[in-house]
Amino acid sequence: MSTAELTSSNWFGKVSAAVVLGFTLTLALTCTFAVLFSRGDSYFTAQGQIAMWLVSPIWCLILSLCFLFRSGARAWGWLAVANVIAWSAYVAARFVMG
Amino acid sequence: MRTDIVRTYKDIHSWVGIIAGLALFIAFYAGAITMFEEPLQRWASPPTELSPPPSLERTPQLINQVLVTHPEARRSFKVHLITGPEQPARVSWETGTRRKPGETYFASLAPDGTLEVTNSKPSEVAQFVDVLHQQVGLPFDHEVAMPIMGVIALLYAIAIISGVICLLPSLTKDLFALRFGKNLKRMWLDLHNVLGLFSLPFHIVMALTAVVFAFHDQFYFAQGAVQKIGATQIEGRGAPPPAPNAPAPQLDVVSDVLPPAELARRVNEQMPGMTLIGMSYDYNAEEGHHGHITGRDPRYGMRGPTYGIGEIDTQTGRIIEADYLPGKQSGWFATISSFFALHFGNFGGAPVRWSYFLLGLAGAVLFYTGNLLWIESRRKKERKAGAVEQTSATRILGALTIGVPLGCIAGISVTVAAAKWLPVGLENLAAWHSRIYYAVFLLAVAWALVRGAAQSGTELLWAAALATALIPIASLVAAVSNGWNHGGNTRLVDIVALAGAIAFAWMARAAHHRALNGPRDSVWSARDLQLDLAQQPAE
Repeated sequence: MSTAELTSSNWFGKVSAAVVLGFTLTLALTCTFAVLFSRGDSYFTAQGQIAMWLVSPIWCLILSLCFLFRSGARAWGWLAVANVIAWSAYVAARFVMG
Repeated sequence: MRTDIVRTYKDIHSWVGIIAGLALFIAFYAGAITMFEEPLQRWASPPTELSPPPSLERTPQLINQVLVTHPEARRSFKVHLITGPEQPARVSWETGTRRKPGETYFASLAPDGTLEVTNSKPSEVAQFVDVLHQQVGLPFDHEVAMPIMGVIALLYAIAIISGVICLLPSLTKDLFALRFGKNLKRMWLDLHNVLGLFSLPFHIVMALTAVVFAFHDQFYFAQGAVQKIGATQIEGRGAPPPAPNAPAPQLDVVSDVLPPAELARRVNEQMPGMTLIGMSYDYNAEEGHHGHITGRDPRYGMRGPTYGIGEIDTQTGRIIEADYLPGKQSGWFATISSFFALHFGNFGGAPVRWSYFLLGLAGAVLFYTGNLLWIESRRKKERKAGAVEQTSATRILGALTIGVPLGCIAGISVTVAAAKWLPVGLENLAAWHSRIYYAVFLLAVAWALVRGAAQSGTELLWAAALATALIPIASLVAAVSNGWNHGGNTRLVDIVALAGAIAFAWMARAAHHRALNGPRDSVWSARDLQLDLAQQPAE
């Protein structure tokens, strides 16, 4: 458990991380969804539309929960790690689905 | 839960709330009204100068005359199965393109069988309120207003989650408590909590859908860009639309379709339970004869605000595209429609519409009480620090918390009532409704800033009551002075407006009482601080 108390004063680093890296993380997750479930040749299929809709809840959740990071630097760090994992999953999904 | 988490989220909640609260009030108040967009549009639409719409059986005669004399209608025209003041003609067509719409023309047959055509539209005031709702009250172009609305929606989502986190620790203690007592802040907080928690699913739906409505183009673009990387060329999105100045198709080609009565019969056969609203007859060389249908079925959630959409073959009546037709959708498309339906409240008929209306108003109250709490907690801190006079931030925010909501309420009411008074045939009616709304709105905000929250609170509530009373008054004046009223469900507009006016008048009396008798250091107090201080011995 952490010893330092959480505060709202260092919000900028956390929010900027959630806006930028949170969005790219969301993009990776939703695009992976589209690759796995989409049937058809364009991204405007039903599955493609659902993938677009999924951006909203995922990104909103990241934006809301980013304040739980103890500092802006940790937010950027952890979200960067999450991005690497999610984008790897995306590349793997593209590879598997051909 | 750790207290530092709760404290952090309390800060987050109050700041995102205060930034987004006033815009959200407008979105929710106007949005509640759009639940009854159709009755409102009927209420506000003057009777048409056209002859009554011909029966469906006689409509081919009308269509033929339109297509002969107006070749621009041959590419696409609509047949309306449900007509009324808000949809005055059996047949209509539009010029221009989807991106750049032109005029809409309406046609009917005179008793002697000659063609009548007009471009005077039904009232656009309901549409104006809808746009106000979509753009959270911002008077900008759609392209500018929507991203701003999107940011507000993101803040709103953060406010919801942070609010829930704040409430969780004391949930069991506070939930059913409504302490209407001496401690007014406690009362507002209890009210805020109970409204927020019990309409939580509604608010989650609204925040998440609003984010998509604002940013869908950008989301699609980003995802499309990702999927395109290293992929073989994605196929184009069908044929480009024909140029607007391309020659019109031949009359005999376009006329080679089923007449409306037969087409409607065949569609109804395939869609039992759906009420067909309209059908379009479209023709172009690439796609041949086809058309779009709209219809409603309260057993299902629908893709459009009040209808589902499908595509038919106008030569056979066969449904060729049912992705957005109620009851005919695949699981994936039904899921997408459910997102829209949950935002529009278009499932389940009147009970759901009324629930959404009340939830929308409750949402508006939620944001208003949120602002009150922000002001009240700042006031307390100032007193602890020894300051007696309110800071300018509290004063200005107090004034805006009065001016913006009440300006919005009064502005909408006046511009709706004006629909019965604006001269028929006025050019650019929509712009007039916009001017009237913003004039009233800005006047109310300026009034609140000049007079302060306490004085203007009472005055603007009276103004809102009077403005809202103008709606039934407009109907009354029309009834006694040879004007027009449509009866039916448009009476609801008058009744709801009257109830609203009475509620605002009641609130005005309560605010007046509080300004005179409430705590003197409140921003809502109208008692003269200097005078009271002078009468008391210095402490």
